[in-house]
Amino acid sequence: MGPAPTGEQLCGAIGEPEVMEPALEGTGKEGKKASSRKRTLAEPPAKGLLQPVKLSRAELYKEPTNEELNHLRETEILFHSSLLRLQVEELLKEVRLSEKKKDRIDAFLREVNQRVVRVPSVPETELTDQAWLPAGVRVPLHQVPYAVKGCFRFLPPAQVTVVGSYLLGTCIRPDINVDVALTMPREILQDKDGLNQRYFRKRALYLAHLAHHLAQDPLFGSVCFSYTNGCHLKPSLLLRPRGKDERLVTVRLHPCPPPDFFRPCRLLPTKNNVRSAWYRGQSPAGDGSPEPPTPHYNTWVLQDTALESHLQLLSTMLGSAQGLKDGVALLKVWLRQRELDKGQGGFTGFLVSMLVVFLVSTHKIHTTMSGYQVLRSVLQFLATTDLTVNGISLCLSSDPSLPALADFHQAFSVVFLDSSGRLNLCADVTASTYHQVQYEARLSMTLLDSRADDGFQLLLMTPKPMIRAFDHVLHLHPLSRLQAACHRLKLWPELQDNGGDYVSAALGPLTTLLEQGLGTRLKLLAHSRPPVPEWGISQDPPKHKDSGSLTLGLLLRPEGLTSVLELGPEADQPEAAKFRQFWGFRSELRRFQDGAIREAVVWEAASMSQKRLIPHQVVTHLLALHTDIPETCVHYVGGPLDALIQGLKQTSSTGEEALAVAVCCYDDLSRLLWGLEGLPLTVSAVQGAHPVLRYTEVFPPTPVRPASSFYEPLQERSSLLPRLDKPCPAYVEPMTVVCHLEGSGQWPQDAEAVQRVRAAFQLRLAELLTQQHGLQCCATATHTDVLKDGFVFRIRVAYQREPQILKEVQSPEGMISLRDTPASLHLERDTRQLPLLTSALHGLQQQHPAFSGVARLAKRWVRAQLLGEDFTDESLDLVAAALFLHPEPFTPPSSPQVGFLRFLYLVSTFDWKNNPLIVNLNNELTVEEQVEIRSGFLAARTQLPVMVIVTPQDRKHSVWTQDGPSAQILQQLVVLAAEALPMLEKQLMDPRGPGDIRTVFRPPLDIYDVLIRLSPRHIPRHRQAVDSPAASFCRGLLSQPGPSSLMPVLGYDPPQLYLMQLREAFGDLALFFYDQHGGEVIGVLWKPTSFQPQPFKASSTKGRMVMSRGGELVMVPNVEAILEDFAVLGEGLVQTVEARSERWTV
Amino acid sequence: MVARRRKRAARDPEDCIPSPPGYAAIPIKFSEKQQASHYLYVRAHGVRQGTKSTWPQKRTLFVLNVPPYCTEESLSRLLSSCGLVQSVELQEKPDLAESPKESRSKFFHPKPVPGFQVAYVVFQKPSGVSAALALKGPLLVSTESHPVKSGIHKWISDYADSVPDPEALRVEVDTFMEAYDQKIAEEEAKAKEEEGVPDEEGWVKVTRRGRRPVLPRTEAASLRVLERERRKRARKELLNFYAWQHRESKMEHLAQLRKKFEEDKQRIELLRAQRKFRPY
Repeated sequence: MGPAPTGEQLCGAIGEPEVMEPALEGTGKEGKKASSRKRTLAEPPAKGLLQPVKLSRAELYKEPTNEELNHLRETEILFHSSLLRLQVEELLKEVRLSEKKKDRIDAFLREVNQRVVRVPSVPETELTDQAWLPAGVRVPLHQVPYAVKGCFRFLPPAQVTVVGSYLLGTCIRPDINVDVALTMPREILQDKDGLNQRYFRKRALYLAHLAHHLAQDPLFGSVCFSYTNGCHLKPSLLLRPRGKDERLVTVRLHPCPPPDFFRPCRLLPTKNNVRSAWYRGQSPAGDGSPEPPTPHYNTWVLQDTALESHLQLLSTMLGSAQGLKDGVALLKVWLRQRELDKGQGGFTGFLVSMLVVFLVSTHKIHTTMSGYQVLRSVLQFLATTDLTVNGISLCLSSDPSLPALADFHQAFSVVFLDSSGRLNLCADVTASTYHQVQYEARLSMTLLDSRADDGFQLLLMTPKPMIRAFDHVLHLHPLSRLQAACHRLKLWPELQDNGGDYVSAALGPLTTLLEQGLGTRLKLLAHSRPPVPEWGISQDPPKHKDSGSLTLGLLLRPEGLTSVLELGPEADQPEAAKFRQFWGFRSELRRFQDGAIREAVVWEAASMSQKRLIPHQVVTHLLALHTDIPETCVHYVGGPLDALIQGLKQTSSTGEEALAVAVCCYDDLSRLLWGLEGLPLTVSAVQGAHPVLRYTEVFPPTPVRPASSFYEPLQERSSLLPRLDKPCPAYVEPMTVVCHLEGSGQWPQDAEAVQRVRAAFQLRLAELLTQQHGLQCCATATHTDVLKDGFVFRIRVAYQREPQILKEVQSPEGMISLRDTPASLHLERDTRQLPLLTSALHGLQQQHPAFSGVARLAKRWVRAQLLGEDFTDESLDLVAAALFLHPEPFTPPSSPQVGFLRFLYLVSTFDWKNNPLIVNLNNELTVEEQVEIRSGFLAARTQLPVMVIVTPQDRKHSVWTQDGPSAQILQQLVVLAAEALPMLEKQLMDPRGPGDIRTVFRPPLDIYDVLIRLSPRHIPRHRQAVDSPAASFCRGLLSQPGPSSLMPVLGYDPPQLYLMQLREAFGDLALFFYDQHGGEVIGVLWKPTSFQPQPFKASSTKGRMVMSRGGELVMVPNVEAILEDFAVLGEGLVQTVEARSERWTV
Repeated sequence: MVARRRKRAARDPEDCIPSPPGYAAIPIKFSEKQQASHYLYVRAHGVRQGTKSTWPQKRTLFVLNVPPYCTEESLSRLLSSCGLVQSVELQEKPDLAESPKESRSKFFHPKPVPGFQVAYVVFQKPSGVSAALALKGPLLVSTESHPVKSGIHKWISDYADSVPDPEALRVEVDTFMEAYDQKIAEEEAKAKEEEGVPDEEGWVKVTRRGRRPVLPRTEAASLRVLERERRKRARKELLNFYAWQHRESKMEHLAQLRKKFEEDKQRIELLRAQRKFRPY
């Protein structure tokens, strides 16, 4: 599905001034303004907005009909809920083929049949003599070695049968494939054709001749070759109709041998059918060792013989049961969303169908079950059964001549035998793929059981591409390196078995090697399956190395990432040699504190971000050591985005350590506060309320050591002031800390008086901290700034009853009631909710070490898009927290990269209009409460802000999004995220390296009407810019602690001061956008309504002028004067004001 | 836009600047360097019959659209050419009453960032108003002799001003609290005096300070009482006891299901409209 903002959402394409249209119909903000109930009632329901359902009493309480009762009961038994039932029905409607299309496909198939049987035959020639083939067609097979015995002639197929999912009715859109089996006449084949690829050579020649004749037919839009299930010994021919039906269907022709041609006992997994003498051009080693078995080769031959019997089995089992077919279709969608069914060795729809048959035959599924129940049962089975250890079989007979399951386990990693008991259906599936399926099934089962969220949406509608599902991804490129790796790993028998496909041959050993090496750091390792190529009939089949790159996805275990040590056995143990052999020169003897001397590997990593990248070191080391794949061929994508949240000087850390230092300092301070003597009331609690204290500040604070020469000292107040003749000093933001005092009845009960008493406390606090601990303090009426170890904290004393005092309203009768006022809400938010949120997110960071990185990247991106001021810090932190608390269908991210991608996905696809984002901090909300919140949300939608984020502490109001964003800004963010996501994913999935990762962080500037360029001299955070400037100004900081202990300049940021003035003066006329992290430009967008002439009103003359237009006096903005005001208000800061006057007309 | 600019350039500046009826327009610029100017719309302050206004009639000039960089001092200076200015008051929006005279504490009510404001200028004599109405301008806010700070200069001086003076704050808090304590003490003394004394109709006021404290008269307290009552009643009620109760609860359940079903259908309809059921 991808991030596709649909319908109305799309109308605000980027680059059009309409984006900012403030009067979009039916948006939340608008609804809020139009809160007069009459208007909302009179208007037709807004488009795309859910309305609370109103049913009349008579409708609700009428007598139920039998039919209705049945329907309700069925829903209760067969489905989870009525919503799920409706959703499943809709989905099936969407993916199923319509009857009309079926008819067209049937007609096309009849045409194909007629043409195939009329292809002329050719006389018999040697297999190696291919001169008879016409010029325009190449044999769709790598004929290595070329020499092979046998003769070939073409005869029209003895039988043409449609096999596969099309007949069963379980094939799903969008790509409809119809498999057609062509039975080659017996005359073409000879005895011993199963040997040395002779059968496959004939099969390929058969197809080549067929292709040549069909390609000349005007019926077909395209005729090309591909591989059956990606097996490159088995080409197939793809036919597509010409004209408008080209996309409708792909017919795949598979030649197959006549029934009973091959003797099954020759094709057992223990038998050899590719002789070493032939394949490697040398006789088997002289010591008389037996020929290696060729299980995969045998299976491919067997598959061709069993096409029809499988179809029969499937149609007898699934034929009449609609529920089972629905289930198979759902499972196919499920696989497809997880990219499990594609490519060579994928877990195909055919395998799932057979699995359903297996479960029916073992009575785990009943034919009356619904599609949803089938889905559930299969997932349950997959989640609990490990086919890599305990294979299953559809074969019921106890014939002693049949091979044992153990033989199959010997030869294949995953075992699922068909009804003949000789063919392993999962022969091509690697252990990694199966484990991935199993893992996904397990995740899905927990999701279905949790019933909190919309399981359907997450399970079947959310795509899980590799880059978004796995924490780290690595590309092996170019693939030809794997050939050398095969030789290094001594995989000659496997190569012989796989017919030279070194990618498949190396895949298994490679993943095992890495799994073993990554050990406890790894939760799951998955590999991309080589895509199945398609090529024109006049071309040679693509080489193995052409199939792009091999991509491995690593799902990391966060707890394993903290260790830099790989502990081995004690030196005198026999396993030590093995350990040494595995790790090579990295293994060292080390003596540990408990006295043990052990083999160990130590990786270099100092910071959290480096520790996260230890898998990179492990992978490159092991690949170089064991498979000769050099570092240059391993493109590890784990931390390219880290650069954006790295500090200015330390490039080795992404700031978690610096944040921890600040938090540590805060802990010390709170201890000092608790132990403070001489306060009239003792301190009862100290709570942090600043992003730094919940690890989500984009750039962590560094200790300030001001250089005195850079500032104007104000000795009597022991503060420093900025100087006019110097560049703007470094930006220091005080960290807010809320300090609660013990309860007391002595507080006054009057709001003004409470303020004064609080101020007295602030003064006293400053005095005591200076006296008792020698800290530099500075008290104001509302807070006390404390300088401690170079960090500045802003302590706010809170009186817990103050919000209540502000709320009190006395009615004329003397009844005192509590009503929310803006002041009380504000105070409550700052002193109660903000500390709660901060501590909850601080806890989240302890649980998920990647949270900090994700939240900061997300915030960084939003701010870089110049939208940072419309979204509060807290709201973005909560969205990031949602990725960890509600990761379904993924698992909580363990790297900032994947977390950021999911943030973009969430932002671009979340339906804010109809859903609240529930962030269940500390798991405090029960399922029932969540349901209640959702229904309450629907009822109160028009009164709520555009973006609603619900937490356990804030269930109704969504305090952090009350003041913005507006619907247009949110829409703009959605559009930007939808553009950034595919771009970034493409960059990260590029095997040649991601290129310039900052592209998605650069904002589009062409949408703004006026650009105000600022002088870097007065931008204190200039160095934090996305494209960090090569040179910037000195900001008056020393690297060593200086003698001065005066209070540094706090919160002095000229661009912010400038913006505040601009918004105050021109907020009615224009919107201002700025990136607080070193942005050099302010984007100005005129509000579209502000240019409409208005009649004169004394209350709205701000910045406007009177003009006579058509004899009437109207008011229009005085644009020229305003543009000059921009420069006047920002004198010294503003470099130029670029008006793009072509973009607007007055 | 371009056309408009040309038109304006062509217009003689002495030519009457359009102004709304009853107002006169005076161009105002920050300094000489600026090309375009804002316009102050001025009028003699007058109110309709019957409304009260604390501004002196006839001597007060009402000024609209004062730019953000224009302070009270500079406005006073600019208009002093028309006559002696008694006071200038800048406000966010037109307000008939003069703001309370006692200055609000700068510690507890910091000054907001100025935008475009309105001003009430009171002259010593009524002639000042008529002179101001005839002003041609353009007025210059910042001149060589009286520079007005803006941009970096202004922010640095603002920052210097904002560095708090703890002593002044302490003094202010102390004086306020003294006055407050006195007020409270007086009120208490008065309440004590009145305690138990019946009023002219014979009612005695019961307060919390009496010997037997009573429930506070708050909404929360009354709600609490009601809730307690309701719970007590609910405990006594029998549920699902009579046949009709059974029937009704079943019907209620069915109605809930129906309602839910309708909601779900609506949701599905919406999702279908957004093509949210395409898994590709």
